[in-house]
Amino acid sequence: MSFFSKSPWILHYDASSCNGCDIEVLACLTPLYDVERFGVVNTGNPKHADILLITGSVNERNVEIIENLYRQMPEPKVVVAVGACACSGGIFARAYNIQGGIDRVLPVDVYVPGCAARPESIIDGVVKGIGALEQKRKKSA
Amino acid sequence: MGSLVVFLVAFPTLTGGLLLGVRNGNARNAIVVLAGLVIVAASIVTAATYGNGAAVFFDLPGGLSLGQALLAVQIAIAAFVVVVGIRYRRVFAPVLVLGQLAISVYLEVSGKLPEPEAGRLFWFDQLTMIMVLIVGIVGTLICVNSLGYMRGFHRSSPMIKGRRTVFFALLFVFLGSMFGLVVSNYLPLMEVFWEITTLCSFLLIGYTRTDETVGYAFDALNLNMIGGLGFSGAIYLLAGQPNGLDLARITAGPASAAVMPAIALLCVAGLTKAAQMPFSRWLLGAMYAPSPTSALLHSSTMVKAGVFLLLRLSPAIAGSNLGTLVAFNGMLTFLFVSFVAVTEQNTKKVLAYSTIGSLGLIVGCAGLGTPELIWVGVMIIIFHALAKGLLFLVVGTIQNRFYTKDMENFDALLSRLPRVAVLALVGVSGMFTAPFGVVVAKWTAIRAFLGMPGAEGAVLLVIMAFGSSLTIFYWGKLLIKVLAMRPVSDYERTIERRVSRFEWFSEALLALGVVIATLGLGVLSERVVGPYALTTFPSASQSFLHVDPVVLLTMLVALLFLPVMAFWAGRHERYEMTDFYAAGRPVAAGGMVGMALGGSRKVSLRNYYLEGVVDGRLAFRSGTAVCACLLVTLVAVGVVGR
Amino acid sequence: MNPIAYAALFVLLAPLFGGLLAGIDRIASARMQSRVGPPLLQPFYDLGKLLQKDARQVNPIVEPLLLGHAGFMAATGAMLLGGTDLIFVAFVFALASLFLVLAAGSVNSPYSFAGAERELIVMLASEPFFILMLAAVCKVTGASSYQGVLGSTVMVAPQLPAVLLAFAFVATIKLRKSPFDISTSHHAHQELVSGLTSDMSGRLLAYVQVAHWYESAILAALLVLFFNWSVPLGLGVFAIVYAAEVLVDNSTSRAKWQLVLRSTWVVTLLLVGGNVLALFLLK
Repeated sequence: MSFFSKSPWILHYDASSCNGCDIEVLACLTPLYDVERFGVVNTGNPKHADILLITGSVNERNVEIIENLYRQMPEPKVVVAVGACACSGGIFARAYNIQGGIDRVLPVDVYVPGCAARPESIIDGVVKGIGALEQKRKKSA
Repeated sequence: MGSLVVFLVAFPTLTGGLLLGVRNGNARNAIVVLAGLVIVAASIVTAATYGNGAAVFFDLPGGLSLGQALLAVQIAIAAFVVVVGIRYRRVFAPVLVLGQLAISVYLEVSGKLPEPEAGRLFWFDQLTMIMVLIVGIVGTLICVNSLGYMRGFHRSSPMIKGRRTVFFALLFVFLGSMFGLVVSNYLPLMEVFWEITTLCSFLLIGYTRTDETVGYAFDALNLNMIGGLGFSGAIYLLAGQPNGLDLARITAGPASAAVMPAIALLCVAGLTKAAQMPFSRWLLGAMYAPSPTSALLHSSTMVKAGVFLLLRLSPAIAGSNLGTLVAFNGMLTFLFVSFVAVTEQNTKKVLAYSTIGSLGLIVGCAGLGTPELIWVGVMIIIFHALAKGLLFLVVGTIQNRFYTKDMENFDALLSRLPRVAVLALVGVSGMFTAPFGVVVAKWTAIRAFLGMPGAEGAVLLVIMAFGSSLTIFYWGKLLIKVLAMRPVSDYERTIERRVSRFEWFSEALLALGVVIATLGLGVLSERVVGPYALTTFPSASQSFLHVDPVVLLTMLVALLFLPVMAFWAGRHERYEMTDFYAAGRPVAAGGMVGMALGGSRKVSLRNYYLEGVVDGRLAFRSGTAVCACLLVTLVAVGVVGR
Repeated sequence: MNPIAYAALFVLLAPLFGGLLAGIDRIASARMQSRVGPPLLQPFYDLGKLLQKDARQVNPIVEPLLLGHAGFMAATGAMLLGGTDLIFVAFVFALASLFLVLAAGSVNSPYSFAGAERELIVMLASEPFFILMLAAVCKVTGASSYQGVLGSTVMVAPQLPAVLLAFAFVATIKLRKSPFDISTSHHAHQELVSGLTSDMSGRLLAYVQVAHWYESAILAALLVLFFNWSVPLGLGVFAIVYAAEVLVDNSTSRAKWQLVLRSTWVVTLLLVGGNVLALFLLK
């Protein structure tokens, strides 16, 4: 029996996002959406997390940090890119310091579009991420 | 028996004299090791001969006349102190020693000094046996350790002129006089040995002859001489009493009003030697001496002489106001120095404060005098001598490798000096994590305090609870530093190879001693310490002797857990290793972390020293002040004779 | 029942107790925040998940130390209910807590290390209380073991009311509730607040969880000592105290360590010291 679907812990990181998507992510924790019902906990620590929820288009300074966080997360782990910027760079894609989306740096499992992404989409994305987690676990088991 | 005892006293002294003439390092090593073996063997043989029966009293074989010999030695000591005082322009010590000499001369010349009763010059019972074994075994191991340590010490401090001939000679003379001290029953005899140990301490602390250490050495001399003067004063007062100078007789039961003042003065002597407040200052200064000195004199043996005397005096003072005051002095010392230790960064000083605290506990037990508390006191003596001796030696070894005493620089010991770290862990576990010796002692002490009537018991309980928690804090800090692990460079890995054989051998044996003592706690309790406690204070209840097997097992596991885990962890790296969390920043080699605005910095971790909540200096001063008042009251109460 | 049976039952059942308590805690907290909260068994799901995750280790000594932590915590409870001397149990309790400190402190991370140091401070604050509390209970009942206290005819709580109050105060620390959760917090966090657990992952974190559940059970057992004439009453009072803790946790912010140390010591000295003094004077 796998417990990942019952207890997905999230690490939320802002990779030079405008904070719009981040606020929506935090909104998921508020009473209106209350993702803790599903066992989701927003840990701030990569070593405790299963799902890396990243917002923002990545800039040069962020790259090594994102890689480090990802490296420190124990297996199995998934990356959920939240918002247009995380998916492809969004409206900042052509800026000189922007890498253009998380998948330039990390293997992304779930893309959640929107600018800003709505809490419902985010939750949906997390649920899909949990599915991906389960698959990874089955593969490695 | 008499000849064995004479051998124990004479042999180390003569070896010391011999060592004065030996300049060659290898010859010295050989002599020290061989003499050490002889001393260990002699100690064991003496203990076996005694055989754990009833107390034994005996004389010098051949019945030599003692009075004049003792006086001669005292004159020599006094002359030496005066000369040294003149040389370094200190007045206090010469004045004190001349005062002491005056008393002795007066007593001898006026014929008021009674000769010892026939056959009662020496006293040997379980406590003596324990002390003999400690001095013989632990003391010898420390001497052996010095062979390696001093080589490193002088190599790291080339500006200090080496006088190792004197150093080692002093160590052996000291061992001889410690033996003499613990077997003496005739007080003037004990006093002479007492003074010799003070002198050895003075010379050893001032070994490097820098201005600083000379100052500390004189501190030690002055404060210990105060005790010595008290000792002389006690002898003067007791000279007129029937059987006054027979220690066993005057401590057979509660002291009479006639003898009380002298007993009070003897208590003062014991308190100074055991570096209790208000006299603690000298022990802190003694930490500037080479580590084996600290181990030998200032944790395992000499300071034990102070609590040894107090334990002997316990039946005389138990139940009286004097005894209660002595007990409170000890317990308050324990509390105050624990506060100070928490704020201290220098590792040797932390160990010193811990020593003073443990001695304070023993003093507390001696002052109150019940069978359980005597049991506690003796147990602490045994375990403390082993574990603290080990710790000082280990700290000395580390110091020689890292050239620092600052605890902040001891970090990641497990990575940098893995085997030394394992030994350190045995030492610390022996002191504290294992509900071992010292904690079992605390536990029993708490039980004993529970049984006391009136407010005293409550106050002592509170002191014990707070003091004990403070010890957890500073030992915890030290343990964290030892256990931290980080990647080490190849060069760093080679450092441990430079630890000498002598250091490994002595420290490993002491660690083994700690383990054996824990394993044998039940036997120790029921066969040796228990009977001693019960002969001193007969009691119907003997339940405290028996150590619950669950307790014993827990203690053993707790003792061995850390060292074994550390040993294992140092060898197996089979996990997926990853960096530690540094706010998401990658950690480069050497613990360097990039900063937000560029550049990188090494991660530096520093302990909490409770600044702002506990003021170490204030704690020390207030403790000294409180105990000084207590001491004055103590003497007054003793003199008034109740 | 045989004390060994009690000890074995404790070792087996305490984690269940602790886990359920943690679950109730989270639901209660959520409801106080107008949320629904996770299912009751969530802590067990979390535990299961942690055991299925890889453990990323920063150094090899962390795992043995955490096993020691959990092991000794279980042993503390087992010895407590198994009839070992109560004061010895206090020392073993302290030892168990120390292993967590050592595990976190052995990691060279600033957050882990700071968490370890702060946990030491928190231990410094709470240790005097536990020693004095158990000593006081022994004094009042004249017993030295758990069964002895429960079997005594002397009612503990009326004799030690101030100690009971102090218990509620100090329990905040052991239960890791705000305002005294300075070394690590239930609410998942990062950096300094995560403290002790910053660098623990997978099964290592699971050991810490289980140890904490044992600890909750031990605290419940200790509180029951006060109500030695009626174990259900004791457990009921524990429930009330715990509910109060949850309320305080949700209403207060974290205190600075100086405040934690000072306030706990003042409470211990005045309430517990005073009660014990009165006890000695009146006996």
